Amino acid sequence: MDGIRYYDIRHVFGQSVHIEIDNGVTESAGTSFFDHAVIRALTRAGWGILTIDNFQDTREPDVENLVREAGAISAITGEVVVLADVTRGMRTVPRMQEDPRDVSIGEKTHLLGAIERAARIEGVVNTKATYMERFENVEFRDSSGAVASYGICRSGFGIMAVAGRNGSLQMGYERRHSIQGLNLRHQQELGRISGERAVALLDALPARGGTMNAVLDPELAGVFAHEAVGHASEGDLIQEGNSVLAGKTGERIGSDIVTIVDDPSLPEFGFEPCDAEGVRTERTEIIRNGVVAGFLHSRETLAAVGNGHAGHARAMPGEPPLVRMSNTFIEAGTSRKDELIAECRDGILLMGSRGGQVDPGRGVFQFNAEYGYLIEKGECTRMVRDVSLSGEILRTLHAIRLCGNDVKMHQGYCGKGGQSVPVSDGAPHILLAGAMVGGSGPD
Amino acid sequence: MAVAPIEDILARGSAIADEVEVHIVRGRAVSADLKRRQVSRAAESRHFGLSIRTIQEGRIGSSSTSNPAEWERCLDAALASGSLATPQPWNGLPDPVPLDPRPIAYDPSLTPDPAVIREILSGMIEGASAHPVEVTSGGASISTATVTIANSHGVHYSRESSSISASIETIRGHSTGYEFGNSWTRDIDPVAIGERAGFLAAESAGGTDIRTGVYDVILSPVAFAQLLGAALIPALSGRNVHAGRSRLAGSRGMVVIDPTLSLSDDPFHPGGLSGTRWDAEGTPTRRLSFIREGVLEQFAYDLKTAFRYGQESTGSAVRTGHGGAPAIGHHNLVVDGPRMDPMIERAVYVQDVVGAHTANPLSGDFSVELTNPFIVEDGEYESPVRKAMLSGNVFGMLERIGGLGKDERVIGSSILPSIRLKDQHIIGT
Repeated sequence: MDGIRYYDIRHVFGQSVHIEIDNGVTESAGTSFFDHAVIRALTRAGWGILTIDNFQDTREPDVENLVREAGAISAITGEVVVLADVTRGMRTVPRMQEDPRDVSIGEKTHLLGAIERAARIEGVVNTKATYMERFENVEFRDSSGAVASYGICRSGFGIMAVAGRNGSLQMGYERRHSIQGLNLRHQQELGRISGERAVALLDALPARGGTMNAVLDPELAGVFAHEAVGHASEGDLIQEGNSVLAGKTGERIGSDIVTIVDDPSLPEFGFEPCDAEGVRTERTEIIRNGVVAGFLHSRETLAAVGNGHAGHARAMPGEPPLVRMSNTFIEAGTSRKDELIAECRDGILLMGSRGGQVDPGRGVFQFNAEYGYLIEKGECTRMVRDVSLSGEILRTLHAIRLCGNDVKMHQGYCGKGGQSVPVSDGAPHILLAGAMVGGSGPD
Repeated sequence: MAVAPIEDILARGSAIADEVEVHIVRGRAVSADLKRRQVSRAAESRHFGLSIRTIQEGRIGSSSTSNPAEWERCLDAALASGSLATPQPWNGLPDPVPLDPRPIAYDPSLTPDPAVIREILSGMIEGASAHPVEVTSGGASISTATVTIANSHGVHYSRESSSISASIETIRGHSTGYEFGNSWTRDIDPVAIGERAGFLAAESAGGTDIRTGVYDVILSPVAFAQLLGAALIPALSGRNVHAGRSRLAGSRGMVVIDPTLSLSDDPFHPGGLSGTRWDAEGTPTRRLSFIREGVLEQFAYDLKTAFRYGQESTGSAVRTGHGGAPAIGHHNLVVDGPRMDPMIERAVYVQDVVGAHTANPLSGDFSVELTNPFIVEDGEYESPVRKAMLSGNVFGMLERIGGLGKDERVIGSSILPSIRLKDQHIIGT
């Protein structure tokens, strides 16, 4: 086609199931359907991108017209885009132990209800459980003849318990998501844990703000890796000059016990058999032994910035690809958790996560723990609530004094550019020296 | 694009369920990004969404699809989901009423035109050039949409909407600036947006440390909207109130915030982006006073929650539920009260916050990192602060405020000024 140097089409269609049970009432339990396609055309002017719904009914001659339309859209742009050569091919989507589509929505509602009931312990005033399941058929093709086609099902649940006493409210929350099949069976224990945590938090103290030593549990340390390093290593931000890691390749920014990796080929919640540009996914070491090693890339940002791997372009159905994290983790060290607590001596143990956010250009990030415990003379003592941490990307990895030997991954969703994609974050327990802790408790 | 056969859906739906409702959004948008100073990634999107609800003996079912040709499958899925839902008291979908046909928040002359997008992007770059900063990224978009709701009681309303938005990010060294604008008509000023983003990055450079302590704090409308959205707004939802998830439950008629402050939902506000004469279930909208001069007056209800708890719908349904299902929300949340100049006396000014979504939505406790904090005095930005956190409680900080600014901004579905807060906890060095 005239003037079009490259094009690709990514068509995603499928169905999603959503169940919500609130205080024993089944509020919804149903199925919805979607079908979206993104057509990208690269001309001498730059990218033109056309997004349409119901692509499955499009006939082949009309596809060509859509590609031309996408090319015409690029007329207002003015940039020279180079696409790096890449390895094609797909990894195998892990087989599901129990395909959620083989289980009726009625049975899933029943299983979710058991988790929700388990959270209703004394002191709990509200329980809410949600189940989400999304089956995506993905079909990719581009002008070079590359094709990829696969189906993937992501499913999981969240359980929230609210405890109340004398006008004060606290919550406990647990969630588990998976690409390896239905995970709703035998999970009442998580319901009970969320209920117990909500009740316990009613008696927790607000944290006192200031600088102190902090031990982070694997869930929170995973969010730390995601916010403190992951986003700033995204190739599009590096290319825009909006990351403090730009130009830092080979520089030491942390202690040599710290290695941080993003790996979309791992069979965790952020798994992709190939990325949204049809590139085979692979592991990228962002930080190796404290030194900036590589960036996460799309074909375009790899060509523009270099250093790292393509295969990190991801997209929500019906949205253009962006450079994204997938499964991000801090590699295991050699210490035991009790050694970290003892070494911390006086400080705080922080657990669970309510998420975080980063300004990668300024190099400042914030994230929040669901709860924690004071560490006094090397022992965990009183429970605290509502604790945030903030830090500076270029300084914070130097503050990691010890890494535990107990890496664990946790699932969630990450937002960027209006798109939310499934990710997992993980880490062992880590000890941070001189962390900036936000809290409004009395001095 | 295929047309959704509304009459067919209503006819077949009525044959198999007590009531049926169809909600359709059809739209088009054009956009482009900035990558540094280059226009990049021009895009056009054409989207369609059909949502169907059925009600059968108090069992509410719903489903959605992006394919109008698949409406029968969608209708069957809605009915199937209703069979699993817990039955509840239900007094019927709304009946049609005569409504003012004049659109709100719609400018028919605002069409998705790529040339306008390019002009906006150039304007923002020009504005940012007034300061010694680099542009890192940005974007502009124009969208139009038609929303239709119809039900088996004869409701069949349609409305057009338009929207324009622009944003830009800048950097100087490790100091960043971000500014944006959005409107339903072409009254955004790209040069001013770029200029402000450039100002924030340029003036925040070379910040100094601040000591941990108690300070008066001024939240810009952007920062204020973030913290309100994290805890106070969810607490006004009737569903959260009755479910035991709202700190404001049981406080109707009581003073809950500073007696100078009022909070309302004004679906007819001329500046708001989400103005509408009927809500997402076809209930006529109305001005709703949540908090008047500090006193909690009203919570927000949709039909489902209202019928369940013996209330009436306040016309507060919006389509933010799963698969485009209705949920309780607001249209244009307006914060008002007597105005003053909040910058006259010394305070820490906060342009935005990092991590507002990590606030505890139930208790309102939060601790966030500050974006572009400045010490202000005598109405001037005195000096930038390098890095600091603000810790507090959303409900507590509104109990005794220093005053509202004379400025007013549309931030998403809120319209609000800056606010001066007394005695807030800042964590610095």
